[in-house]
Amino acid sequence: MKKIIQIILFISVGLAGPQWGNESAILSSPGRHEIGLFSPFRMGLHNGSEISVNKFLLLPSVAYKTNLSQFQKWKMAYRIQVAYPTMAMRWIQSPLGMKLGEPDMFALISPEFTIPQMISVYGELIGTTGAPSDGRLSINGGLGIGLNGKELAQRATVDLPVIYPRLSVYYNGILIKIGGEYFRQVKERWSYVLDYDMFLMPGGQGRFAFEQKGLLVWSKSQKFRLLFGYKLIAGEYPFGSQAHLLPALDLQFGW
Amino acid sequence: MIKQLTPFKFILIFGIILSSCEPIVNQFDDIENAVMYRANTIVDVGAQNTVKVMTWNIRFGVARLRFFGDGCGDRVVLKKSEVVEGLEGLAEKIKQEDPDILLLQEVDVQSKKTGYIDQAQWLLDHTDFNYGAYASMWESQVILADGLGRVNTGNLILSKWKLENAERYQLPLRGDQDALTKYFYLRRNAIKAKVAMPGKPFYAVNTHLTAFATDDTKQKHIDTFKAILDGIAAEGAYFIAGGDLNEIPPNASKMDYCLEDQCKGESFHESGIDKGNTHKEGSYFAPEITWLSSLFKSYTPAIPLDVYGAFETGHFTHSPDDNLQLDRKLDYLWTNTTWINGTTHQEATTLSDHIPVSATWVIP
Repeated sequence: MKKIIQIILFISVGLAGPQWGNESAILSSPGRHEIGLFSPFRMGLHNGSEISVNKFLLLPSVAYKTNLSQFQKWKMAYRIQVAYPTMAMRWIQSPLGMKLGEPDMFALISPEFTIPQMISVYGELIGTTGAPSDGRLSINGGLGIGLNGKELAQRATVDLPVIYPRLSVYYNGILIKIGGEYFRQVKERWSYVLDYDMFLMPGGQGRFAFEQKGLLVWSKSQKFRLLFGYKLIAGEYPFGSQAHLLPALDLQFGW
Repeated sequence: MIKQLTPFKFILIFGIILSSCEPIVNQFDDIENAVMYRANTIVDVGAQNTVKVMTWNIRFGVARLRFFGDGCGDRVVLKKSEVVEGLEGLAEKIKQEDPDILLLQEVDVQSKKTGYIDQAQWLLDHTDFNYGAYASMWESQVILADGLGRVNTGNLILSKWKLENAERYQLPLRGDQDALTKYFYLRRNAIKAKVAMPGKPFYAVNTHLTAFATDDTKQKHIDTFKAILDGIAAEGAYFIAGGDLNEIPPNASKMDYCLEDQCKGESFHESGIDKGNTHKEGSYFAPEITWLSSLFKSYTPAIPLDVYGAFETGHFTHSPDDNLQLDRKLDYLWTNTTWINGTTHQEATTLSDHIPVSATWVIP
């Protein structure tokens, strides 16, 4: 059962909703902690920055976000993230510890491939303008670089929505991501989020992915909020183009 | 042949999460239209008095590479260059034999394991055929086992003449699997198409029957296949039919291949092993040895039983994995009229784990 829970957590890594301001240039208050069912642990630091850590230990990543000088009406921030996917990618070659043909259930990558030591570094600029009551707009753009100890076979891709674009940097060496988010509070406890992300994957067999998300947010307090909605994904994969509509859900806790 | 994918517990969770404009697994209607293909270049062919027909399980173009799913290999996702090389070998043999109608099994049209090459279109464009009709036996956005990923593989009829009214007939699903395994498992079919030879139309039927069922599913498949042929005959029409029936002839002298097919670490024919299952799935034919008798009684095979019985080894069509010593006959051609020149092409042993069988059909 523990393994099944791990699998569900892995699958859900990319399905996370927006955190309290995670895609905006607004940082968490100093000393504030947040964690979500499908989103990372985040903590506001006292030096005016924020750190977040993926709680899924097989896919460790750490991100640091800090403010930049305001540009006209835009609050600016940059964010840098370092991820180490090797353990997770090796794990999904045999999540239940079975061998090839037993069958090796849930294996998303064939065990015939060697997954090398890899890290990725992703940096992005974020600009945010407006206030939640009138509508808050955030725009971001960034570049990711994958550094592999040895070459990762192009045949070892996971040709599924959400996963394919997020792992592409390890196959192609580079990822460009552009996105935006519109957040608006409509009632005291209700707000909504419209979000989009465009992944450009130069050199990949699938060259782009577009993800659009719509979420309703119910905030009980500063300690808990519930997000639910959809995620529409249209992208190119090694077999061609395909669109998917997925449910999106998150429970987030802050203190 | 694809190994049984035994229990896929909890996969349904993923299936529910991952919905899209197309289903996770295509479950197919009982009868539905086949997928039609045409070559990039069409060369018109007129009516003929005889038609050369060939059947071939092409093992999705990977020749004798050690694919994990049908032998003892450890390969899953083959290199595109390996698949193209395999397809080139097939195309060369096909052009050399120059059949007018080709019944192919295990044709991948969009599978990760074979580099997503549309092999139906590739073969049309690299041989002298003009038209194709395809029926998938396994179509899934993802198979969550062994890293197989996306799969679309099935049966294909290639023809020099136009194919009309091509239909996919669903064969019964295996009765020895749990519901979840059955959902993600192969859905075998027979494909029937009318070959529009000018002035002399006839039917072509192609099938690939279950390999690993341990119950009477194969008997049901044979019955369904025969019922399709009976229907054509009842109309007063003519047919050529064939495929990989995964069954040995009723007069085969050897019925037990468990030890030949045994992989490293496996053990059969010992009491008490595998919870009492002492035979390898798909390798023990004794209980089903008479199942093809009805077809032999009703229709004309390209290789008659007496011809087969007189020289069995010369008519073997299959050996698993990278074993080049053919050891059983699983592939057949049938008609409700007459064949001449029935040939088992054992010179093609390196091109697939099955070899082609061809014959010339004499049009009444």
